Amino acid sequence: MPFIKHAFPLKTASPLLMAALVVFLLTGPVAGISRVQAADHIKIGLLEEPKTLNYWLGSDTWSKKVLDLIYYPLYIHEPEKLELTPWLAESAPVFDEETLSYTVKLREAKWSDGTPFTAEDVAFTVNSIKGFKDSRRYDRWRFVKEVEVVDDRTVRFHLERPMAVFLKRSLTTRIIQKKQWLPIVEEAGKTDNPLAALRNHQIREPVGTGPFVLKEWKRGAYVFMETNEHFFGKGLEIAGRKLGPYIDGIIFRVFGTSDAAIMAINKGDIDMFWWRIQPGYIEELEGEAKIKLYTSERSALYYLGFNVRKAPFDNPAFRRAVSYLIDRNFLMLRVLQGYGTMMTSIVPPGNICWHCPDVPEYADKVLLRGERIRKAYEILKEAGFSWNTPPVNEKGELVKAKGFRLPDGSPMQDFYILTPPADYDPARSMAGIMIQEWLREVGLPASARPMAFGSLLDQVKGRHDFDMFVLGYGSLSLDPDYLRMFFHSENDKSGGWNMSGYSNPRYDELADESARTMDQDERRKLIYEMQRIIMQDVPYIPLYNPHLIEAVRTDRFEGWVPMLEGIGNTWSFCTLKPK
Amino acid sequence: MDLRNFVFRRLIQVAVIFFIIQTSLFLLFRLAPGDPVERMVDPTMTPEDAQRLVEVLGLDQPLWTQYWVYLKNFFLGEFGTSFHYGQPVVEIIWEKLPNTILLFTTSTILAALAGIALGKIAAWRKGTRTDTVLTIGSLVTHTVFLPWLALLLIWVFGYRLGWFPINGMISADVWLDPSAGFCTKAADVGYHLVLPLATLFLVSFGSSLLVMRSSMLDTLKEDYILTARAKGLTDKAVRNHHAARNAALPVVTGVGLSLAFSINGGALTETVFTWPGIGRELVFAVSHSDYPLAQAAFLLIAIVVLLSNVVVDILYAYLDPRIRY
Amino acid sequence: MPIWTRGSDTESEAQDKVETEHRYDPSLIQRSQWFGQLMEGWAVFIKNPLGRVGIGFLVLFGLMALCSFIPPWIDPMYRPMTGVDPEIARSTGPSIKHWLGTDFMGRDIFSQLLAGARIAFLVGVSAAFMTVVLGTAVGMTAGYMGRFVDTFLMRVADIIMIMPTLLFVLMLAALFGRLNIWAIVLIIGLFRWPGVSRVIRSQTLSLKQRPFIEAARVAGAGHLRIIFRHIMPNVLPLSFLYMTFRVTSAITIEAALAFLGFGDPGTVSWGMMLQWVWKTGHMFQAPYWLLPPGICISLITLSFYMVGRAMDEVLDPRLRKEEEVL
Repeated sequence: MPFIKHAFPLKTASPLLMAALVVFLLTGPVAGISRVQAADHIKIGLLEEPKTLNYWLGSDTWSKKVLDLIYYPLYIHEPEKLELTPWLAESAPVFDEETLSYTVKLREAKWSDGTPFTAEDVAFTVNSIKGFKDSRRYDRWRFVKEVEVVDDRTVRFHLERPMAVFLKRSLTTRIIQKKQWLPIVEEAGKTDNPLAALRNHQIREPVGTGPFVLKEWKRGAYVFMETNEHFFGKGLEIAGRKLGPYIDGIIFRVFGTSDAAIMAINKGDIDMFWWRIQPGYIEELEGEAKIKLYTSERSALYYLGFNVRKAPFDNPAFRRAVSYLIDRNFLMLRVLQGYGTMMTSIVPPGNICWHCPDVPEYADKVLLRGERIRKAYEILKEAGFSWNTPPVNEKGELVKAKGFRLPDGSPMQDFYILTPPADYDPARSMAGIMIQEWLREVGLPASARPMAFGSLLDQVKGRHDFDMFVLGYGSLSLDPDYLRMFFHSENDKSGGWNMSGYSNPRYDELADESARTMDQDERRKLIYEMQRIIMQDVPYIPLYNPHLIEAVRTDRFEGWVPMLEGIGNTWSFCTLKPK
Repeated sequence: MDLRNFVFRRLIQVAVIFFIIQTSLFLLFRLAPGDPVERMVDPTMTPEDAQRLVEVLGLDQPLWTQYWVYLKNFFLGEFGTSFHYGQPVVEIIWEKLPNTILLFTTSTILAALAGIALGKIAAWRKGTRTDTVLTIGSLVTHTVFLPWLALLLIWVFGYRLGWFPINGMISADVWLDPSAGFCTKAADVGYHLVLPLATLFLVSFGSSLLVMRSSMLDTLKEDYILTARAKGLTDKAVRNHHAARNAALPVVTGVGLSLAFSINGGALTETVFTWPGIGRELVFAVSHSDYPLAQAAFLLIAIVVLLSNVVVDILYAYLDPRIRY
Repeated sequence: MPIWTRGSDTESEAQDKVETEHRYDPSLIQRSQWFGQLMEGWAVFIKNPLGRVGIGFLVLFGLMALCSFIPPWIDPMYRPMTGVDPEIARSTGPSIKHWLGTDFMGRDIFSQLLAGARIAFLVGVSAAFMTVVLGTAVGMTAGYMGRFVDTFLMRVADIIMIMPTLLFVLMLAALFGRLNIWAIVLIIGLFRWPGVSRVIRSQTLSLKQRPFIEAARVAGAGHLRIIFRHIMPNVLPLSFLYMTFRVTSAITIEAALAFLGFGDPGTVSWGMMLQWVWKTGHMFQAPYWLLPPGICISLITLSFYMVGRAMDEVLDPRLRKEEEVL
């Protein structure tokens, strides 16, 4: 290489490098130590950052956590029995059977900007949802004909037809302020794609009725909320609890990975980590004196679904045999590390209001592996299935099964269990693989096939081109109307919720009736019956329901309120007290 | 053909390549099975409600219309609105870009400098123990599995020793403290930078060192070095002034050429340390089907890679008169 | 050397290659001589400490891959993916029954590690194979056809070469969900061929000038025949050997994909193991689980890399003189 004049300034380079390193090493620890001791700001760790604070857009877990402290509905669930409790409403709604209308009296409350909360706001919220046909909330208000503003503090809802979900779902819609949103709504209405314009509006200072208001949001790092001085609940007693908030504010810190958050809570940098803790960390945290773990039930459902449009999955006996083969106890103990509840019905057991305790069982705690295989073998044999080499030989010993045949004598084709990929949910793809192994034990040629979430749903929900799948819902609504959505035959269409293609006239009838029945006890009977039918026919096999384990520090704050879906609820934030 | 002509031709090529990448990205995203709405749908939505979400995102339009809008927007400097943030993609990118640049340029420059400095020594002391240790050390750090190295650093320096923060870029406590001045805040960022920086530095300085070493060995055989020695200059002067300067050139161009490799590493590092940069955002957008954001982030990376290649070529042509374009 | 010179100016390169060609072209020298060359190459290779150490490690990993069949045969609980210890349902440290401990489900980490070696070889070698096949086809076509085809193919190669492969593969994996290990190998192969096609192209270019190609053409052989009968046998063996040890990136990319959660969940690879330890929150508690897979990935990459470097010296005699130490 020839001599080149434009050369690299090597001489200055090395000192620069050294200087940079020295600066980092010296200043770093200093910065770490000089921490503010903001006395009564509770610090809460989040895994991911809220994506938006727009009421219409924010549907991800993290945005909702913050939004739900700002906007509040007329009624919320109380923690013990999950019954509706008046929140922004003053008392229970009054039903008038003749006019099919509900009248709700509102509390005297204020928005965080000091203006009064009125019936106009309620009507505005509902009318906006209906006007924009907001996908996420429209279904709750579709059947409401009109919202009548009787006076400033009375609002009347006129229904088109009786709907059981009105109380638990429609009246728990969060209310937005007319003053802040009217101009935005009008502006959006003028565009070509009004709902898009509404969802993409950037809102900097959301005005709400909740106990906290947004103070500062530093993207990628933290969200700082202060106490709302206009909060109506201060000093009130609701559902037997005297509300505060008694803390000065909340600092949400975004961590991105659990390890970082766990370390922070160990060191005392945060007072709570608002996310489920993976089993691996639990042991370590249990040993810490100043850390307390709360275990809560979740309103979640993880299940195996069949395509009952297709043989042999259309045969209930086949599905029941599979139910026996699936060792839910194993999934619970191994995949969930014991931190979960076995699902015996579609409605999670934590939803005490609607979970049916006596459904057909598949002997979950009793049977050993061999007995499961024998049981499944019996059921299948009885239903006309056969083997070249059956899993149980004449002497009653277990052998490797080969050549599974359908009742018509044809050999069973290979079939697939579709699961989401491991990054989306490791437990589900793991469950898929375990189920594959269990089915193979009796000679069923199953293969687990993890696939991207989008294509999985496209195949299962869009094109109905599948055999079996493992899916789940992380947060099911507390109202069990999803039972109707999942298994009513009218939802068996492309994109519809009856992905299994289950069809049972008796069930349809019950489901329709349950949607109409306004009386809770009556409705509960119907819902119970529906659960029994489903567990008899098992188009879905419920698998497990992971526990929600959350960690808090006990040295600065106390008074967490345990509830379904965890301690991070309104009741906790309104009653937490500094020590 | 003169230099200007050459540059012009290269830029045209880059533009064509960029157009191809842009179009294939668009097609890739639209032709992929499933639609991004599925993740936002819950059992309370009817198929009609879900369809309305598709319309909101503009995904119901025919492919050509979508492509046309995409192209038009591109020339207007817009990349659409992120599905998740509901915010113009450009804004999000602008927010994250400085963070990536901070991490990336610091580590690249430090690694190149360290590689040059140490490679020089290794070549000068060829065959000694120093050389062996340096060469083997750089081989090992060069091939170490980056995410694992990152986890290891987290485990040792974050968890065991507790010296450095292991995630994010700033700590809320410092930034919420009204008394904290600019210096405190800058120091806070620097403090958070240490581990991700160390990770990227460790994996990239090795290749610089190896390139520098062999280039230096080449240079030391050149006539003008012998001349310099014959003139009676000290070893140090010959080493630093005559040999190292010229030998460093391939390192600089090498850094440019291996940019793609470093970007992969950067994305992994950002993901493990949750550094709020473009790489992490891209991984997130891809796994959450946020098409506009993923497309824009990838395009940005593509253009940076393409341009840096051009710059390297031009630099090379400019610096090395032997090269004919 | 900057990329554009590789595309347009190949004279000097071609000349360099002529020298190399001359030594190794099997069609020009007799078989015994060819064998002698190989032995000489091996002698050079094995004298190189890098090559020795690299080969040593590779043999070790090969043994691991072979041994991976043993534990499941001893007891079903050692099946790497599905076998669990009936008595252990959580991650435990090393013991006599489980040499490296168990993972969160009670699966044996050591048998997973052995199985991982198999996957690493499978991914590395098959991706290398794909790369070589694709790269050879493209390189020969470009070199032989010349002109427009050449420019076009080499430009495409340029684009693919400078793209951040991992991110691209990640995107494809996330979008087109069929995430089994072969799909991943296929995608990696699709993105790594440009390096090979460069080498093959310049070899083809120099071969094209040789009398025997001209003779074949005069004798009336078609393009395809010339490419497959005369050029391919001359370029393939060498490049094959050479490139096999260049595709360490396949192993790294597969591991990184698996680590980020886009791998094949039905396969136990080292990247997958790292993902499990990271995602299940055992990172701080279980060094016996965190360390082995990472060490293995890094070490196998390192050994392939070292063998590749040693190979360079065998193939390029100029390097041999300079790099005596390493």
